Amino acid sequence: MGKPTYGYAGKQLRISLNNRKVTVENIDPKVLRRYLGGTGYGARILYDELKKGIYPLSKANKLIFATSPLSLNRIPGGGSVMVCFKSPLTNAWSESKCGTDFGPDLKRAGYDAVIIEDRSEKPVYIVINDEDIEIKPAEHLAGKSISEKIKMIREELDDPKISVMCIGPAGEKLVKIAVAMSDGRAAGRCGVGAVMGSKNLIGIAVKGSKEVSVAQPEKLKAAIKKAVKAVRENEIAAGFKEHGTTGEMVPSDAAGDWPTKNWHSNHWGKAEKIYDEFYNTKLIKNHACYRGCPIACGRVAEVKEGKYKTPVHEGAEYESLSAFTAFVLNDNLDAAIHATYLCNEYGIDTISAGAIIAFAMECYEHGVIEKKDIGDLDLSWGNPDALPELVRLISMREGIGDILAEGVKTASEKLGKGSEEFAIHGKGLEAPAHDARSGKALAVTYGTANRGMCHIHPLEGMAYDSGKLDFGMVKYGLPDPNTVHRWDEKGKGKSVKILQDGLIVSDVLSICKFFMYGGLNIDNYADMLSALTGWEIDGWELLKVGERVTNLQRLFNMREGFGRNDDLLPERVRKIPSFGIYKDEQRCAIKDYEAMLNEYYETRGWDLITGKPSKDKLRELELEEE
Amino acid sequence: MEVKVKLYTIFKKYGEGKLDKDNNISIPEHLTLQDLISHLNIPERLGKVCLVNGNPRDIEYTLSEGDEVKIVSIIGGG
Repeated sequence: MGKPTYGYAGKQLRISLNNRKVTVENIDPKVLRRYLGGTGYGARILYDELKKGIYPLSKANKLIFATSPLSLNRIPGGGSVMVCFKSPLTNAWSESKCGTDFGPDLKRAGYDAVIIEDRSEKPVYIVINDEDIEIKPAEHLAGKSISEKIKMIREELDDPKISVMCIGPAGEKLVKIAVAMSDGRAAGRCGVGAVMGSKNLIGIAVKGSKEVSVAQPEKLKAAIKKAVKAVRENEIAAGFKEHGTTGEMVPSDAAGDWPTKNWHSNHWGKAEKIYDEFYNTKLIKNHACYRGCPIACGRVAEVKEGKYKTPVHEGAEYESLSAFTAFVLNDNLDAAIHATYLCNEYGIDTISAGAIIAFAMECYEHGVIEKKDIGDLDLSWGNPDALPELVRLISMREGIGDILAEGVKTASEKLGKGSEEFAIHGKGLEAPAHDARSGKALAVTYGTANRGMCHIHPLEGMAYDSGKLDFGMVKYGLPDPNTVHRWDEKGKGKSVKILQDGLIVSDVLSICKFFMYGGLNIDNYADMLSALTGWEIDGWELLKVGERVTNLQRLFNMREGFGRNDDLLPERVRKIPSFGIYKDEQRCAIKDYEAMLNEYYETRGWDLITGKPSKDKLRELELEEE
Repeated sequence: MEVKVKLYTIFKKYGEGKLDKDNNISIPEHLTLQDLISHLNIPERLGKVCLVNGNPRDIEYTLSEGDEVKIVSIIGGG
């Protein structure tokens, strides 16, 4: 062994499910320095190891569970794990982050990453306990809900606290929007659960007893102290703590940021009533997704009685509740909470599920889905009874649910009859609950995000335009958001490039992004990372890593055939809303999306026609040209 | 003149001691939304959107007697 790699375990596990071969591999420190971890390291591995055009649900796909040096419970936001894979929903680059102790526990077991390959003949789950790696039979877990599976695995291992990530029945049935969950938290988007299901991998349990060596412990202590202080003194972090993400419903509705009735509008006017009901009658307490989180934005909710009675559970987040209220015009909060709970038990993504139901309701309105296709089910807009039933049908691939389980893009292609217009997605990923008509930077981030129209990467655009957050990056060239109007289009392409490079750092470091909204910036991360690793890393280097990773993921997608034509924003999303308080506000419509995209490509050093990174740009980023 | 002001989430505290129990506040005539925000000491750097009588208004908008103003903070997470 050479010099120890401070901050990292320096090792990864490679588990081949076909022959049950487990290999411990050393990781090249040069690769770590260049890609750091999380989505960066995952992108490097998948780009190098996946062949072009593989079917994502074949044994050729791989799952990378990746951490970083900051995957420690004592780092603000350190309790996360990043799962990287080729998406069966989009056929593009994908990743999905989950707030959980799984990441820090994997580090404690002595691994920076786990690579899962091939496919098991029968259902299995993996147990990682330091050097002991077991692949155990899981046929008896098949068909069980997520919480049942986690409970049974913990009982079998006689360890009530071991971190477990597993799939639900939907993942086993290869539903393209299936998730993997760790307790109440999901690696939710792009179908990670379906990839696990295709490998007959029901779950992974992990625990460890080791501590990663720290290069400069005193410096780390000081950097963490500074970061914790910044979070404690931050008003937005305090807001997240008190109101969770759900508290965003009222501002989003008011700002024209709340996609309503499948994006026919960006405003509904009912968020205040819904949020007040939630806060006063359904909310039990807040909850931290990992041990030690100083914000604990998670919500624990319950519906005590009635036809949508729902046990105490963690869920009912902003995105989930928006998907089952505004998306589908449902103001029955009990039904919305119940539907999100069922998603978490069957194991499907709440955002995509709500978006798919909105799509189905519009199909029903226009006769694309007919009564004969759905039996007794009434898919009229706002019908609360349709929500839990459609969640079940999609999760179990029953009836109309079998087509809808493919996601709106494929479902619209199968259903035809003009339903493509109702399929609101980017690169095949269903759009989340923020609306680009609230601010134009969001249009560019939605269109260009490597995993499609997701609720993580693009949001820096909205936070910049409307939230006026600069993320400490004005000194790195970001125009001051207070000098920019949210509906300006010129200049947004330039700003988005810097925003993306800076904000992807939270995913490269596999940590919670909310802390970047709540007081931390790339300088804090550079300080903590430098102390952990002994490397002298500054904000500029982190931005360069962010740019490198963004470009590498772009190259992954281009290899799969994606290009400028896929950096789209659906027409409906660009148009002035058809109802609501912004219906006469011409400034909110997106006037020249292509011009914004041109500005963005020019700033990125990408070809204006193909969207491909230039040779000079790749050379600058030390990325080989493919 | 008097206007009604509703503040949400992280802005709520800025109304304490300034708004009465019905959320009303007396302000000079011809005040703009920007003036009202300054009067309430809501930090300029925090993103916000204002509705007056249910309609979105720019901060240059001049308030009138009896207006109902909602000021919401915009964060962008969630």
